[in-house]
Amino acid sequence: MAEEQVKKRVGIFSLTCDEGCSIYLTEIFNQKLLGWLERADLVYFLSVKNKTDFSGLDIALVEGVVTSQKDKEELEKIRSNARVLIAMGTCAMSALPSGQRNTFTPEQKEEIREHTETYGFLPRALALKEVVKVDDEIPGCPISEEIFIKTFERYLT
Amino acid sequence: MHSCNLDIEINKLSKIEGHADLDIRIRNGKLEEVTLKVMENVRFFNQAVQGKSFASVPQLVSRICGTCSIAHLTACIEAVEKTLGVVPSAQTVLLRKLTMYSLMIRDHALHLYFFVLPDLFGIDSILDLADDKKELIHEALHVKEAGNNLSKLVAGRAVHAPYEQVGGFSHEIDPSRVPILISELKKVRPSVLKLMDIFYNCSWKLERKTNFVAIATPDFSFLEGKIKSTSGSVIEEKDYWDHLHNVVLPYSQASGFQFEGKEYMVGALARMNLNKESLHPSTQKDAAKYLAVFPSDNIFHNNLAQAIEILHSLDHSIELLRSGEFKKEEPAKPTRQSGEGVGAIEAPRGTLYYWMAIDEGRVRYLNLVIPTAQNLINMRGDIKKIVEDACASGVFPDELEEKIRREAEKIIRAYDPCMSCASHFLRVNLN
Repeated sequence: MAEEQVKKRVGIFSLTCDEGCSIYLTEIFNQKLLGWLERADLVYFLSVKNKTDFSGLDIALVEGVVTSQKDKEELEKIRSNARVLIAMGTCAMSALPSGQRNTFTPEQKEEIREHTETYGFLPRALALKEVVKVDDEIPGCPISEEIFIKTFERYLT
Repeated sequence: MHSCNLDIEINKLSKIEGHADLDIRIRNGKLEEVTLKVMENVRFFNQAVQGKSFASVPQLVSRICGTCSIAHLTACIEAVEKTLGVVPSAQTVLLRKLTMYSLMIRDHALHLYFFVLPDLFGIDSILDLADDKKELIHEALHVKEAGNNLSKLVAGRAVHAPYEQVGGFSHEIDPSRVPILISELKKVRPSVLKLMDIFYNCSWKLERKTNFVAIATPDFSFLEGKIKSTSGSVIEEKDYWDHLHNVVLPYSQASGFQFEGKEYMVGALARMNLNKESLHPSTQKDAAKYLAVFPSDNIFHNNLAQAIEILHSLDHSIELLRSGEFKKEEPAKPTRQSGEGVGAIEAPRGTLYYWMAIDEGRVRYLNLVIPTAQNLINMRGDIKKIVEDACASGVFPDELEEKIRREAEKIIRAYDPCMSCASHFLRVNLN
């Protein structure tokens, strides 16, 4: 009997966004989840479980934008615990639509100023790669099903 | 009664949509404060839509929410159409109903199977189900997939559906796929009957008199109807705002609402309490035993109501798919380029309201009322009741904290809150 392969430790994280990619991922799961669980442990995914474990991640899938100081600190923590960090979707890759505020008119910026100051927003909303090293990207809003499966399975083996 | 001091903090509640924290403060065995904090960062869509073409705004606001993007898309399209005098065809209305049903099936299924069932079985995750219950994972995935495939067929995709547009749908249904989909929807029906039975037999109870508000659609299709309340109000969709009062919640990136000066609840339980006689005949027949539970003041019956709505969505979709001819149509056109209008629909979590103003084809103003924001005050009231009951129950302080944590999370999940949505709120000044 072949020796059992050590399962990859996978975390799925949401920064500022609508969580559309992780929701769409739960739809990709309909066909794929049970097969993937033979090769991976989901150690962090708040949509599915409460008990979480950040440490020693083989793959970190991150959706969303770095819009606040808290987002930035969380992303840095994920990066320091992950061997491979994959940016998932348009938000993570381009900072939009949260980054719409980067190009607001001075009047619009004034309208939102009190809120952004109260809640520790950064001067600009940032894509992941503006903050940490990103190893791979999966485009789409939400993520392309085909590219996600291809990319994820490459890191699973 | 034990006189204890306790500070309970729950950071990042799991198995809900989006980010929220909960702080509870107990002094001398008595509840002092419950703070439910929506921690989802605001993304300023109210500002971002200003000056954008009316045709592009529905796809933009779809990005407010991942899981109920179809609800935002549909409500925004309705607001644009009412504003610009666009009258959608009968086929478009039928396709919109199918699109909404596809959303209800997969969104409710995600909530019930993935978020709530673990609490019911005392486990952390549906993936931890014991071997003799493992078939529920398969059933969860199949029910979700049926909704997902219905979205794909009618609207192109389950999240940020590309085909649904102002005036119509950009792609026709592929007729060769219709019979396959009807049989898939029929195939998951027994799983949904089983799911209803699970929630019917669930003994969880929290009753606190409140007011329920929902659009009562004549065919329970979540789109058009009069807004009704269990307190007896009947309101036109366009007048809803006049009955609401916005309440600022400290420490929270969202604000709450009162209806006619009082706390209230929207969502599946409200719809069931106000409109169960409009459900599909097949649903009424097979869910008769479960429907007898309603009207109900037990907030946990929201879960049973959601399961019944999955069954209705399957049953009415099967009928609509059988009846439709699905021919190619040109989109209905605007009859004017400026105006103001309201779009209101029943999203999975309750009444979703869009108020829009358009000048020469460009959006000047947008105001939203989000279901979860409407439920925040009622939800906080229910958490208070749970904590007060727990404090009075006489359990020892070390058990009290664990009990409160567990019960508070359960009641929050019963509402199926969506914090991504809740952080989008109005801008009241009109200029």
